[in-house]
Amino acid sequence: MMFLNTLGPLSWALLLIIPPAILALYFLKLRRQPLEVPSTYLWRRTIEDLHVNSLWQKLRQSILLFLQLLFIFLIIIACLRPGFSGSSLDGDRFIFLIDNSASMNATDVEDAADRLSAAKNHVADLIDQMKRGDVAMILSFSNRAKIVHQYTNDRRKLLAKLKAIEPTNRTSDISEALRVASGLANPGQSSFEEGDEMVAESKPATMYIFSDGQFPSVQDFSLGNLNPIYFPIGNPISSNLAIVAFSTQRNPERENQLQAYARIERYGDTAPTEVEASLYYNGDLLDVSRVSIPEDGAAGVQFDLGTLEAGKIKLELDVKDDFALDNVAYAAINPPRKAKVLVVTSGNEYLQFALATDEIEKISDVAIVDPTFLEGDQYKAESAIGAYDLVIYEQCAPETMPNANTLFIGMNPPSEGWSFGETANIPQIIDTTRSHPIMSFIDLGNVSIYEANAVNAPQGATTLIDSDIGSLFTIAPREGYEDAVLGFAFLAIEDGKSFYNTEWTKRLSFPVFVKNIVEYLGNIERGNTGTSIRPGAQFNYRTEAPMPEIHIKPPSGKERTIGRHGQNMFSFSETEMIGTYDVREGAANDARQHFSVNIFNSQESNIIPSNEIQTEWEVIEGKSQWSPVRKELWKLLIVFAIIVLIVEWYIYNRRVYL
Amino acid sequence: MPASTNKTELLSPELLAQLERLELVSRKIFRGRMKGERKSKRKGNSVEFADFRPYVHGDDLRFIDWNTYARLDKLFLKLFLEEEDLHFYTLIDASMSMDFGEPTKLQYAKQLAASLGYIGLCRADRVRIETLGTTVRDPGPVLRGRHNLYRMVEYLEGIEPGENISLLEGVKNFCIRNSGKGVLILITDLMDKTGYEAALRFLMAQQMDVYVIHTLSPVELKPEEQIKGDLKLVDCEDSDFAEITVSRPLLDRYKKTLASFIDGARTYCAKRGMVYTLANTETPVDQLVSTYLRQRGLVR
Repeated sequence: MMFLNTLGPLSWALLLIIPPAILALYFLKLRRQPLEVPSTYLWRRTIEDLHVNSLWQKLRQSILLFLQLLFIFLIIIACLRPGFSGSSLDGDRFIFLIDNSASMNATDVEDAADRLSAAKNHVADLIDQMKRGDVAMILSFSNRAKIVHQYTNDRRKLLAKLKAIEPTNRTSDISEALRVASGLANPGQSSFEEGDEMVAESKPATMYIFSDGQFPSVQDFSLGNLNPIYFPIGNPISSNLAIVAFSTQRNPERENQLQAYARIERYGDTAPTEVEASLYYNGDLLDVSRVSIPEDGAAGVQFDLGTLEAGKIKLELDVKDDFALDNVAYAAINPPRKAKVLVVTSGNEYLQFALATDEIEKISDVAIVDPTFLEGDQYKAESAIGAYDLVIYEQCAPETMPNANTLFIGMNPPSEGWSFGETANIPQIIDTTRSHPIMSFIDLGNVSIYEANAVNAPQGATTLIDSDIGSLFTIAPREGYEDAVLGFAFLAIEDGKSFYNTEWTKRLSFPVFVKNIVEYLGNIERGNTGTSIRPGAQFNYRTEAPMPEIHIKPPSGKERTIGRHGQNMFSFSETEMIGTYDVREGAANDARQHFSVNIFNSQESNIIPSNEIQTEWEVIEGKSQWSPVRKELWKLLIVFAIIVLIVEWYIYNRRVYL
Repeated sequence: MPASTNKTELLSPELLAQLERLELVSRKIFRGRMKGERKSKRKGNSVEFADFRPYVHGDDLRFIDWNTYARLDKLFLKLFLEEEDLHFYTLIDASMSMDFGEPTKLQYAKQLAASLGYIGLCRADRVRIETLGTTVRDPGPVLRGRHNLYRMVEYLEGIEPGENISLLEGVKNFCIRNSGKGVLILITDLMDKTGYEAALRFLMAQQMDVYVIHTLSPVELKPEEQIKGDLKLVDCEDSDFAEITVSRPLLDRYKKTLASFIDGARTYCAKRGMVYTLANTETPVDQLVSTYLRQRGLVR
């Protein structure tokens, strides 16, 4: 409510004298007119009863006074010219663009719960001002545009649809919405629905944009017939702390250790410079770290997670700022993928024993076959499509190299560049490349070898075991795979009898070696961070084995079943909600994988409203204030005053007292 | 509302003609003072036989029924009913409060008294008209016979408002002066701040046939027609005042009070064997006499 003073001091003085004057007149009027009556006997008896509730009686008697005072009060208020502030509508065709991206959830606005509500209130005000014959349409946009309602002059429908606009967690991008709006306003552009007259007759339109202006500048777009008016929504002195990145990764120094890393950004001068970040693992508090954020910028925070199993982790900032959605970030540690290992051996107890440990079983599916298997069709088909991660050939070799990592034990691979040198007896091991994952934790000091060949490898190879006769163990890349070749066998056959060529198999380092082989060449990644996508983005998932369906459980808890499209491909797009989603394959009971949905967008987290919208050729300046159009109330007040006057006249004449 | 001196005739010739046919009725048979046209409780000299009574010494021998003596050999006296006149009193409340209305209540009372008086005069009753202000020293005339009409009217016209004292005092004085029995018409508005009950009790003690004619003017019966606005109502008798702002609820309340006042008076009279009649001064006197009072049994 705003008041405009319409009278000068003298007029006001005169006007304000009136109420006391009425009161004075009323008291003067109380000198009642004397009237001689036969007897006051009955009158006395009549008014005696009334004295019991004399106060009420007095009030009733002075109703005319009250009505007169009310009348003059209304006149005084009308002279103050009260009015509501409103914004004017120019033109007769309107497009309302309402931003419902994540940043519109910020609570830095007055008189509304959040920015979106404030925007909706403004639009409702404008719709109320539409005149007969005006048409308007409503578009909402986040990272994509949505026509909330087509052009109509039905204000009730527009208001109902406006009310139904829901906030989203998506990022914002106005360009699609602008293109939709411009398609409707500029001729020569396609319509959305065939036979839609409203669209067909393209006319200039006024476009009202309600947004915080935080989106990439619009490229390759011209307004044409559109007359844009931009209302920045939000408080310029709002503050926000945001997690803009959060992921887990292996400690590069210790491969089996996990680390979580987050980046925290600070927006607005009033945002705190220090914040407590709490890390939760499967809902339990794991670690807390105090992070200082420089006045203007960002800070990183790192957590050492140790050896965590698969699970969900959540990072939460303990801060109350204007935008809460980006104070939490989610990530997931996916269970290690099981490697498919094929072992082709004619029999090696130690190798089989080492492959049967719990650790290996946890990370791989091992199949042990006879060398005759190599001639079968199944092997040929499976090795061609890459069904195995690792194939171990013990003293045998396939005809062609499989589409998999390989380990050749005491055998030369059928591949270019590989060759064995002369067989030597009891070579001396000089060194092992311990920095390589395969050789980590392996001590070969207590190992001796009876017979071995030097391994000559193609270019780019790495020697893992070096000896006086040359390399005994070499690894080399091959078209995205890696081949490792061991220049000696574990079992030697001489004179028809087999015996152990080396005592390595009896040493403690052997099972470690086998595990390293399976882990490294089996492509096992521990602490695999689940993918993180933006809200509303599509999540694509590929199963290893053919599955008819997968089940995805969003944070809201209601599991959805997704049918596949293509071979083993699944896509899921109901990812509006921020949090960690569980993916369960087929009939399996446990989640196979997790993925998380996070905003992770600096532009979205920067909630300070922008004063202008940049397009490639134009700049749309924000209106700092509503156009000063007043909705006047004085006419209403005068009408009311006249009604009061009529009522007073009626009461005076009819003596009908309420 | 001061009284306008109403010079209309108290009795018009048409009214007189109408009244001549009427007769005052007493519900009780009262002893009159003079021989009149009415039966009396007293045995007397009329031609109408009443009873026999054994002869005692000193009885007038002329009334002995000799035929009975011849048959029974005992002396019996033959008794006849005495025909007597009726004592007809009219008591007019001539207080200031009666001087209101159009015609004034007093004028109306005078007219009524004249009408009833004339009926009495025609039937040779003793007609006595007094006001409540009449003192022992100045009693109203006792009239008998049609020829006294002129005197009666003259006396009535001489009555001025404001003569009397309170209703109770007036009635008391009247009762002291008139111990005789008869029919009493009390024409009053009963507007006595001390209450009318004591006064009526006095009348009851007289064992008279009492008729109370409660005269009210339209100002009292329908005040909404004349009383409007913020007023200071002044009592014309004692200058007492009541400040009122006329409103619908107030008027409703007044009507309730009035109704309970009238009803109270009616009930009070009915319980004590008096006849109560409410007379609105707007009702013509001839209609009142020939209709209402006839119904009440005062005239026939």
